[in-house]
Amino acid sequence: MTTPTAMVSHLSKSFGAVRAVEDVSFEVYPGEIFGLLGPNGAGKTTSIRMMLDIFTPDRGEISVLGGKMDEAKKNRIGYLPEERGLYKDLKLEPTLIFMARLKGLSDAEVKRRLPDWLKRLDLYDHRHKKIQELSKGMQQKAQVIATLLHEPDLVVIDEAFSGLDPVNTRLVEVIIREQQAAGKTIIMSTHQMHQVEALCNRIALINKGNTVLYGEVDQIKRNFAGNAVTITGQGDFLNVPGVLEARQVNGDWHLSLASGASPQDVLRTLTARDGIKIERFEIAEPSLDDIFIWTVQGRQEPDHA
Amino acid sequence: MRKLWVVAKHEFLKITRKRSFLLGTLAMPLFFVAIMVLVVVVLVVGEDQRPIGYVDQAGVLATVTALPPDEGDGPNPVELQAFTDEAQARAALEAQEIQAYYVLPADYLTSRDVQLFYWEKAPPNSAQRRFNNLLRANLSTSLPVEVAERAQKGVELTARSADGRQEVGGDSIINIFVPFFIGLFFSIVVLSSGSYLMEAVSDEKENRTIEVMATSMTPGQLIGGKAIGLMAVALAQIGILAVTIAISLIVGAQFIEALRAIHIPWSMFLTLALFFLPTYALIAGMMIGVGSMVTETRQGQQIAGAISMLFTLPFFVVVVFFSAPNSPLATILTLFPTTSFLTVTLRWGMTTIPLWEMIAGWVLVTASAVFMVWAASRIFRLGMLRYGQRLDLKSMLRAVRTGTEG
Repeated sequence: MTTPTAMVSHLSKSFGAVRAVEDVSFEVYPGEIFGLLGPNGAGKTTSIRMMLDIFTPDRGEISVLGGKMDEAKKNRIGYLPEERGLYKDLKLEPTLIFMARLKGLSDAEVKRRLPDWLKRLDLYDHRHKKIQELSKGMQQKAQVIATLLHEPDLVVIDEAFSGLDPVNTRLVEVIIREQQAAGKTIIMSTHQMHQVEALCNRIALINKGNTVLYGEVDQIKRNFAGNAVTITGQGDFLNVPGVLEARQVNGDWHLSLASGASPQDVLRTLTARDGIKIERFEIAEPSLDDIFIWTVQGRQEPDHA
Repeated sequence: MRKLWVVAKHEFLKITRKRSFLLGTLAMPLFFVAIMVLVVVVLVVGEDQRPIGYVDQAGVLATVTALPPDEGDGPNPVELQAFTDEAQARAALEAQEIQAYYVLPADYLTSRDVQLFYWEKAPPNSAQRRFNNLLRANLSTSLPVEVAERAQKGVELTARSADGRQEVGGDSIINIFVPFFIGLFFSIVVLSSGSYLMEAVSDEKENRTIEVMATSMTPGQLIGGKAIGLMAVALAQIGILAVTIAISLIVGAQFIEALRAIHIPWSMFLTLALFFLPTYALIAGMMIGVGSMVTETRQGQQIAGAISMLFTLPFFVVVVFFSAPNSPLATILTLFPTTSFLTVTLRWGMTTIPLWEMIAGWVLVTASAVFMVWAASRIFRLGMLRYGQRLDLKSMLRAVRTGTEG
């Protein structure tokens, strides 16, 4: 069996009376893009910080790149934290050189690699500007360079796309895929479910300091199928018993079902209603958004899954 | 270790490239040079270069008439001009051809009276010294050469403390003020670099760079690198000033007699160097702690100002050191870790500091520095990730006690 690039097992961490992480476990394997999901304050960032040896866990085990974190391993990790920043009163190029040197690159090697990255992310002409003179998006891109310039084996990105416009979001997505194709392991912590669906192979959902969902994205979605239905037709699909939420998507109705309600019950109810004409009725594959909300709100996977 | 030096170099260049640093660093040496130039200009331009006359009625100035320039004569030794009688000398004085004239009366050898005549301003010391040398040279012609030379040069007095540890040269006032100014300058430099260190830590927090730093190196490498970089900044400032002062004194000594009396207090430099390192580490530890606690650099600067007071306190009681350099207050301040460095410096030129006080003071400041750096690294680890939150005293003490963030 492949050795995980990163493994955390039953992590727990408290700050005074506040328990930030109660029981978080997951494994991340070489070459995969792993999504770490969860609502605000769930314990994602604290878990990442423990994994990267910024915080010491109260309990639990951590293994990164084949063992405990040490100084040599830090050179093989690229971390883009949620609370990100650069030295505002310094110029862009020397800042990136400094940060890459701290990751063990020689001066000559940094200067060889840096121009390509700057050109690719449209920052080359701004390299002599102070960081504070750059737009927020430019600063974000500069931090992506700082994270990847030393070609790390493990890339940890906390909210990768915040502050980026759609064009640059697409560019960063492409870069993340390239990193994966180059055999790098990527851990993404995010709220943006469509990006998780587009990029991640596997996910862990953390809620209130616990891992509440963990596995392959496709498998999880299959497990949650049956908790929603898609209907094409005419009539009033609102206020149907057993339906939590009904919304129209591209002319179709998307109904999220309450716990215990089955699609067959809903179909029976609808056919019994006056003025309802159903052209298509199918069990919907739930989006990760739905799964996220169901899980966080305490809903369970359907029994039949 | 390499990362420590990368951080040190980065910090050094970051500060030394700032315009404010260049202005601050060069201002003091330039001020010193300006003062020195001013003094020299006043002395050289303002000094009367006209000859000094003499009338030798006693016949004692006949043997040696030309005097080789002496080191006390300054850059332009005044010429000594002999007159056969007083009327001739007076006429030259009235014609302003000479600035003054001496008269050695016929009974000089018995009376030892010499008269000096001038209009409004007495000739400068260097000119009077030149005439005295001529007189001594002639009076000692009958003595053996070695004795004559010794008699002409006079004594060189060195006062030494009874235990032999400290000596004071001829001009004790100057040798009190040299340590005083060294202490003043060291204080400014050390405290400004300590303040830089506080800023360097709080900047990491303010710029949100600390997490990336923490995943690139150990807190020790980060803090150590910053401390070394800033110590290099301090040493660069000291070096620039020391070289400027040295050159100014060497050049100035050609013109200003008082500067030649300054003795370089090597034993003081060595002692201060021993105190400098732990004192710097103590300041660094305190500033790192403050920088880690606050949310903004501005908040930290207020606390840094209060800490600076702890280190500069001896300057406020320097009058006590002048009047009673071995008073109980002086002893207490020598032993107290934050004040020992400056107190030792200030007392150095005024007294012989008891050896036990210096050893005890050094041990205390070193122990305090070790504890403070250790505690600061724990506070730093906790405080660095509390964005926008000021670290309360309770959390800080817990971090120091347990070494954890929780």
